[in-house]
Amino acid sequence: MKKKPFVNKKWIVILVIIALLVTFDLLDDQKSISTRAIVLAMSLDKGQNERYNLGIQLLKTDKNNKQEYLNFYQEGDSVSDILETMNYNVGATVSLAHTMVIVISQDILLEDKDEALRYLLENQVVTYNTMLVTSGDKPDELMSAKLSNGIGSGYYLGQVLRTVAADFGVVPVSIKDYFMLRYRIGGCIYIPYVTLEKQGENSYLGLTKMYATDGQKGLILDEDATKGLSLVATSLSNGSLTYRYADITGEADIVQSFSNISVKNDSAKITVYVSLRDTSNVPDSIDETKCLEDIDATLKGYINKCYEDCKAQNLDIFYLGQYCYAFKNPLANEAEYLDKLTVDIVIDGNLK
Amino acid sequence: MNNKLNDIIYPEQFLLLAFISIMTFKVVMLAQYLVSEAGNEAYIAMTVMISIEIMMCALVYGIISYGSLPRLDLPKGIKYVLALLLFVTSMAKCALLGSEGVSYVSTSIYDNVRWSYVCLALMLVCCYLAYKGGKVIARTAQIFFWLMALSFAFHVVFAKTDLQFVNLLPLDFSTDIAVACDKYLVWFGDYSCLLFLSVSKSPNAKGKRLAVWTVLAIVGTFVCAVGLMVIFVCVFGDSGAIVGNAFLNVSSLNKIAFMIGSMDLPTVCSWVIMCTIRLSLLLYACKECLKIFFGEKWWLSAVCALTAYLLIVYGIGNLKTGYSIATGALRYFVYFTDFIAVIALYILVHVKYKKTNKPKALPSPETPALKQISPPSQGEE
Repeated sequence: MKKKPFVNKKWIVILVIIALLVTFDLLDDQKSISTRAIVLAMSLDKGQNERYNLGIQLLKTDKNNKQEYLNFYQEGDSVSDILETMNYNVGATVSLAHTMVIVISQDILLEDKDEALRYLLENQVVTYNTMLVTSGDKPDELMSAKLSNGIGSGYYLGQVLRTVAADFGVVPVSIKDYFMLRYRIGGCIYIPYVTLEKQGENSYLGLTKMYATDGQKGLILDEDATKGLSLVATSLSNGSLTYRYADITGEADIVQSFSNISVKNDSAKITVYVSLRDTSNVPDSIDETKCLEDIDATLKGYINKCYEDCKAQNLDIFYLGQYCYAFKNPLANEAEYLDKLTVDIVIDGNLK
Repeated sequence: MNNKLNDIIYPEQFLLLAFISIMTFKVVMLAQYLVSEAGNEAYIAMTVMISIEIMMCALVYGIISYGSLPRLDLPKGIKYVLALLLFVTSMAKCALLGSEGVSYVSTSIYDNVRWSYVCLALMLVCCYLAYKGGKVIARTAQIFFWLMALSFAFHVVFAKTDLQFVNLLPLDFSTDIAVACDKYLVWFGDYSCLLFLSVSKSPNAKGKRLAVWTVLAIVGTFVCAVGLMVIFVCVFGDSGAIVGNAFLNVSSLNKIAFMIGSMDLPTVCSWVIMCTIRLSLLLYACKECLKIFFGEKWWLSAVCALTAYLLIVYGIGNLKTGYSIATGALRYFVYFTDFIAVIALYILVHVKYKKTNKPKALPSPETPALKQISPPSQGEE
């Protein structure tokens, strides 16, 4: 008869696994979440002598649930060096995995050649959904702004950008979108442009404009051009339009819109399909055709404004070069394709 | 357990192992590499190579329906040559592809944990599975299959991403596709380790059920591999050349990410399991190759695991080194084994068994006869 083993082999295996796990835990220096500083927002600017100036916004809470937004700034030669130094300044391991927004200065956009942002993307320092914004004000001023609602400005920006994703106006851009657009023909990117207005002790953030750049020159798009960009660049499900004909004024909500771009020979056609719902107190009789005509002209005006403003700066904001390449149009190989393309804007709308 | 029968699996298990073998390391760094070489045509390169792999899997099935490589009645010299080729290929893949898995766990799941720790934990598990045999690996895959399927279904239901289909155009068949397929040969041909399994149908098996599972496996492999590549190119475009860990990044694009953070836990769990099974299969193949030379020895799996550990931690050490080795001359050796040798073996086996009679059918993994031969002893599984 076979002798029973002293110890069941299964338990030996389990004991070995436990011993290994405990040993690994003791040997390695993994920081627990309580020793991490969760960064909500980040700022990136050019400092003195071509160095980077990086800022982070943290949320500090105490036992009484009192919240305080803390900002730390550090200069350094590279983003990795700065983050390493930040760990000592902050007294915890800085974690960018939950960063909602990065405020980038125009100097970085025009001079850095995406080095810093590329580091953040390639090394997965931030998530791919982290939003990007820029401003005419210094990023650290924006981050340090005191809002009337008491929330940190960087964190507030991140929250707002997530709610306006399908709205008629500013187009939120994440870091993955930034690079996807940057790698297209023309290399033009657009990111939300934040304005800072101080009124006494409090500050107010404005988010109605966009900033377009190809890494060498930049352009601030006004509100109308921004609306034109949002019509072409994204699918909308929120927003309102005013129409006017004769002495009748009304308002229509955007239910849904999306666009299509096609290129044939030296002609590009931008078609925007938009479904509208009339929500104003309308008189009994309303001429839908005239309403749509007015809306048609308004929307075309927005898109045309965006296109013409960018074309003047040689910025291919609608990526017509990429579409030429996609449809095997020989214009894609020419440097001055924007000048040679004629653009036809068509609005296909319906009003209910 | 009777070690002589621990390589026998069901056809459904073979399909599942083939799916895991093909998919596991195609969804990590390969997407980035293909985009860097072929740009918007990366998905065409993936389609071509996946199609070839599926066809080669059919050849492998045709071989192992006669029995695993050690069981086949072939001249010893041919067996030794094949065993040597397959050992080197499987060990190289275990090290190169295993380093991707170790790197992912080390940098994405943890905060830059040393490779030696991650590799040690991984190799211990894979060594044990390799020691237990192909049947145990297949059964493990079957048990965890539903987790993988649920994870996939979860992401399909909650997926939300703005797909830019213009990134896929123009639909062109340029030489970049051939260059990409050539340069990244190591990431393909993931079926050669299945040659050390034997397929035997269950007495209760129904032909229709197997046909359904076969179609599902083929379609599933296509949809997952090529579909992921298409989504990757649509989302990232040419910038995909700087984006690693494709499956993780694509799966983080969902409707609820903004509410409760990136929901990548189901994907991570599924992939880590697939990675473990895949590496176990490779180690099992290495062990079986050594068995042809040295006979049945208990330490063969340990030697294979130790070799893989040393290669990953000290030989490779980082993804850059692994990439340069994988895209060097080694890839032609791997190609020769995975494609040429397997086709040659298929022809040889069919010619051999056409001349002689087909060997006696292998016992089903769960037949009563098996239980009579090796009654389960106390303390064993």
